[in-house]
Amino acid sequence: MTAEINVEHLGKKFNEFIALEDVNFSVHKGEIFGLLGPSGSGKTTLIKVLTAQLDQNKGKASVFGMPVNEMKRVENKSRFGLLTDNSGLYKRLSVEENLMLYKDLYGLDDSAIDEALAFVNLQDARKKKVSKLSKGMLQRVTLARALMHNPDLLFLDEPTSALDPGNTHHIYKGLRKLNEMGTTIFLTTHDMAEAETLCDRVAFLHEGKIQAIGAPSELRLRHSDQSMIVELTNGEQHTLPLNELTTAERLEEWMRHQLIQRIWSNEPTLGDIFMEMTGRDLR
Amino acid sequence: MNVSVKRMRAIFIKDYKEFSRNYAISTMVLMPLVLALFYQNAGAASLDLYFLPVNMTFAFVTTFIQACLIAEEKESNTLRSLMMSPASMADILIGKSTLVFSITIVIVTLTIMILGFTPANLFILAAGLTISTVFYIGLGIICGLFTKTVMEASVAILPVMAIFSLGPLAMGLAETYSVLEVLKWLPSSQLIMLEGYSAAGNITDIIISLAVIAGWTVITLVIASMLFKKRLKDE
Repeated sequence: MTAEINVEHLGKKFNEFIALEDVNFSVHKGEIFGLLGPSGSGKTTLIKVLTAQLDQNKGKASVFGMPVNEMKRVENKSRFGLLTDNSGLYKRLSVEENLMLYKDLYGLDDSAIDEALAFVNLQDARKKKVSKLSKGMLQRVTLARALMHNPDLLFLDEPTSALDPGNTHHIYKGLRKLNEMGTTIFLTTHDMAEAETLCDRVAFLHEGKIQAIGAPSELRLRHSDQSMIVELTNGEQHTLPLNELTTAERLEEWMRHQLIQRIWSNEPTLGDIFMEMTGRDLR
Repeated sequence: MNVSVKRMRAIFIKDYKEFSRNYAISTMVLMPLVLALFYQNAGAASLDLYFLPVNMTFAFVTTFIQACLIAEEKESNTLRSLMMSPASMADILIGKSTLVFSITIVIVTLTIMILGFTPANLFILAAGLTISTVFYIGLGIICGLFTKTVMEASVAILPVMAIFSLGPLAMGLAETYSVLEVLKWLPSSQLIMLEGYSAAGNITDIIISLAVIAGWTVITLVIASMLFKKRLKDE
């Protein structure tokens, strides 16, 4: 599989503060890769290194098979899109005027604005001044700007942090569709539900170090204690080991007497795994 | 160098819309015109006084507006978004300077017309004014890139305004304080001297004056480019 992003032994220091340390991972072409970590774990620094906004102090990083410094070249800037926590929108201009600027900078047709606004469900706010938009709307305009040129690779730094559930769902659907059309997505989040819903693979970043990498289901399975929880109609909960005959016997017994209310897997969430590995919450 | 007229035009149009809606900055263009009207009524007696409103236009309009446009882009993080777009350094700097260049040319022309000043040689003065405009734009870019906010930029350009607009007036004290002789090498002083040499038909001095202004311009643009390249990194 071709690696769209490849990072080897990457390190970044700000004076004495170590922001990234010995970071290693690859993002494959066509993948949605999530970087999970709490605020200050180094997620944004990593995106800045990968988009040539910061130089690394150690190691190597490449995007599209080229050293990250090549991302500064005009021809390569059109190949990726970037959504950051700072909107970078012109507040005195309307949503349309903001997108118009980038449509011209990327050399796109007028239809690119319509498509981008439809993607983020903001067609009605087209003529609205950016200074009048809510935080969630600002985030959606920034996302529209990041993907209006159909980039090969999309860097999204906390893409839905300011959105309501309805719009979050709409954006997830759009991102999935974009991914199906071939766009590789690299996103950072501290929302484990977002990571589980969207990402093919995730990496946990804590204090600048990668703690684990894998598909969400694979990580959950790896940290699972191979048990299930059964809740009976009288409210009692029983934790039973999987793949043991005694479990089957007890289940059969309860079923015969119609005592089972609910059964669920005792797999940990990504948040639980992160907590187990680092001793702290994802937020 | 990667330059695209379409991208520069897009940045120019965006700047024009922003500028026309930002009254705190756009009203600054009136200041030199008011000063010129005042001088017209009071009567300017020397070349120094004729050129004071012109040099003030460069400081209050060209440098101030350019610095504020750049500083505001930095403050609102839009400059970084532009840098991450396919726009090259040349696209951004030329696109962002075209508006201020056009405004400066209009205001300087109006100022000269209001003052009722007749240049000895229009072509030579136009050359001097055009090169000076580029110099003051470069100065504005440097001030804008050095500062983080519009507020900081408006303070940072105060010494620039004082040195370059009022410097030529202080040359009158050079007989008492010889150190002030150095002020004659300011581009604003050279612009006034250029007009004097033009009236006298002194070709060598005209070339020297234009070369001095051009030298300042080249140095300023090199510093502005270096600073811009440094700002490409978010260190």
